[in-house]
Amino acid sequence: MATAPTPSGEGPRWEVFKQDTPSKPHQAVGSVHAADPEHALLMARSVYARRPAAVSLWVAPAEAVFAVTAEELAAAEPWSVEEAGEERLYQVFRKTSHRRAMTFVDHVGEVSAPGPRAAVAAARQAFPEPPALAWWVVPTARLSASPDDEAAAWFEPAADKTYKQQSAYGLLAPKKPGRSKGGDR
Amino acid sequence: MAEAAAPAADEQQRLDAFEARIANGEKIEPGDWMPDAYRKQLVRMISQHAHSEVVGMLPEGAWITRAPSLRRKLILIAKVQDEAGHGQYLYHAAETLGVSRDELIDALLEGRAKYSSVFNYPTLTWADVGMIGWLVDGAAIKNQLMLAQCSYGPYSRAMVRICAEETFHHKQGKEMVLTYAQGSAYQRAMAQDALDRWWWPSLMMLGPHDSDSPNTPQLVRWGIKTKTNDQVRQEFVDEHAPELMDAGLTIPDPELHVDEASGHWVHGPIDWDEFWSVVKGHGPLNAERLAARRQAFEDGRWVREAMAAYARRRREAA
Amino acid sequence: MSASKAQDSRLDAELQQALVARLTAMADDELILGHRDSEWTGHAPLLEEDIALANIAQDEIGHALLWLQARSELDGSDPDELAFFREVGAFRNARLVELPKGDWAFTMLRQYLFDAFETELLSRLRDSRYPPLAEAAAKAAKEEVFHLRHSGLWLERLALGTDESRSRLTSALQRIWPYLPQLWQPLPGDAALQRAGIAPNPADLEQPVMARVSAALAALGLEPPADAVPNPGGRDRHGEALVSLLVDMQSVARADPGVDAW
Repeated sequence: MATAPTPSGEGPRWEVFKQDTPSKPHQAVGSVHAADPEHALLMARSVYARRPAAVSLWVAPAEAVFAVTAEELAAAEPWSVEEAGEERLYQVFRKTSHRRAMTFVDHVGEVSAPGPRAAVAAARQAFPEPPALAWWVVPTARLSASPDDEAAAWFEPAADKTYKQQSAYGLLAPKKPGRSKGGDR
Repeated sequence: MAEAAAPAADEQQRLDAFEARIANGEKIEPGDWMPDAYRKQLVRMISQHAHSEVVGMLPEGAWITRAPSLRRKLILIAKVQDEAGHGQYLYHAAETLGVSRDELIDALLEGRAKYSSVFNYPTLTWADVGMIGWLVDGAAIKNQLMLAQCSYGPYSRAMVRICAEETFHHKQGKEMVLTYAQGSAYQRAMAQDALDRWWWPSLMMLGPHDSDSPNTPQLVRWGIKTKTNDQVRQEFVDEHAPELMDAGLTIPDPELHVDEASGHWVHGPIDWDEFWSVVKGHGPLNAERLAARRQAFEDGRWVREAMAAYARRRREAA
Repeated sequence: MSASKAQDSRLDAELQQALVARLTAMADDELILGHRDSEWTGHAPLLEEDIALANIAQDEIGHALLWLQARSELDGSDPDELAFFREVGAFRNARLVELPKGDWAFTMLRQYLFDAFETELLSRLRDSRYPPLAEAAAKAAKEEVFHLRHSGLWLERLALGTDESRSRLTSALQRIWPYLPQLWQPLPGDAALQRAGIAPNPADLEQPVMARVSAALAALGLEPPADAVPNPGGRDRHGEALVSLLVDMQSVARADPGVDAW
């Protein structure tokens, strides 16, 4: 079920995917409101990469994301797909755990399909294990990426801002004991 | 998801299955079946939380230009920036439930939406910034850790992200207040004055007593809350009271004492009349806070229009 | 650290003095600009832009600290002392950065022009024969890439958005343009720093910066004002805007000057 576009003074919504390190997949972290893809990428970096670590960002208009949960799939079996349409490439994301996290679906690969429902069907075939709790499919053409050749400028400066990292604050205690009122300590 | 009207038994079955998923520790994700009341409670809670973050930028934001050292300047800008970010994550979570950010912001600016009463108090000195970090964010963290376990996926994820960033807020505030409490006579007096004004609002921020919170039992049942207001408030007082006293500050509560039997700190009665007055919008700065947000929104209208016009031109040219 | 001390001993008194002045001017530009940017926190047109501009403000103030720390290694000065206890007349920022923030068009255009200048300045400072300066410039240059992208994006969106946004932008251009030439005015010691390979002469930055800016404006169908540009004077001359900025900025620090720490 895709998110319907809403006319917005805030601009359309863009889903954001962040890759923490080169060996991890892009992960859905949230969304930003912006008017166009370049703006969305700059906003995504500002909102989601204020602190380390990140090496790459993708954004896609929220209305281009087709989302379906395991529960929705079960309720809709058999899963009907588009009969015909232009074959396109879709990037596939899925969630496979209920474990508490700050990210939602992870990028798992790509499929070719004539439509989003067919893309989900293809994804279930292509990536059967472990069972997915939720799927997102996004046409590759609708995704925009942060420029790889500027990755150092986009993502490295965050590491220097130690004043906003809680690990930079040691154990905080008064220098000398103060008077204590009431009760044993 | 549109559904034809279902017989009561079917509805009960769905509800049972839903509650079983929650009891099983599963996350409810956008698109999953959920009772209307669950959706409504979440939209209310999440949007209030989002509004609080955004309005909360103002009391501390006012002091950015006066931060007394370059490091404090950087820290405060980063903190207020985080608050905008937290509002952003929470608006995103609310939007997954089918409301638009436009609607939510409309409601806030027209005075139809609630936000945490604590931000209707003025910041009168630089030390208020530190005290807000230590106490208000300290109280918020207790709440946030609890909400990170929420059954609704997007809210839980927003809270986990917020928790990771909030600790810095708490620590920088504590560091500031400890420095001033043990600094010059002027700094000590400033810190004590800030405590006098922020202690009770921080306690009240954690919500009405359990006996006055009709929503809580259902929120607990649906995994939206896992602790009651009084439980969280107790944790807050137990942690912060002794630390403030160790710093040489006096808590403005003559009845505050340790209960011998339980080992918990017991506080004096909260003035709930003031709390409700502030919640209902009659706090000292409610009107000013909303006016400031309205002004920013109006001032920015032409900018957002330009953004949209540019995007339209690009699409038409493509 | 010991490498830079060895470097210090090669800087004679004249060069040290010249470098202190240059670092102060650079730091003051960043501090005052960062301060102006930070005034938008809580009031930006879009929540995401509030966050973005707050990052840029932190970057600028961070740069100010880099330059003041480099100065401190030369003369033992204290960055906070310099920021919070100098009078208006002792500041060495360009007039461009102290102008009040104005509307979003004014802020973004001023940011763009300063970003274009800083990008060029930093790219040359990276080759400084004075290692602490080269290192600091490399760090700052990374951040500057993003700043220029961001302000450049806004220049385009405001120019090609609505009639209102374009009109506000041209209005801002009229008001800001006269302050640009001050950026290329060398300080008394800059010639010596250039000869020693420590820092570029600001006069050499005019051509490349103006080339970039003129091309950007031309691409958007914007023309800078043609009128003769009045000389805003040296960096020791400031306007009333800086007075009220500093009165506010320094108020808490000055309320109890003798403290150990804030």
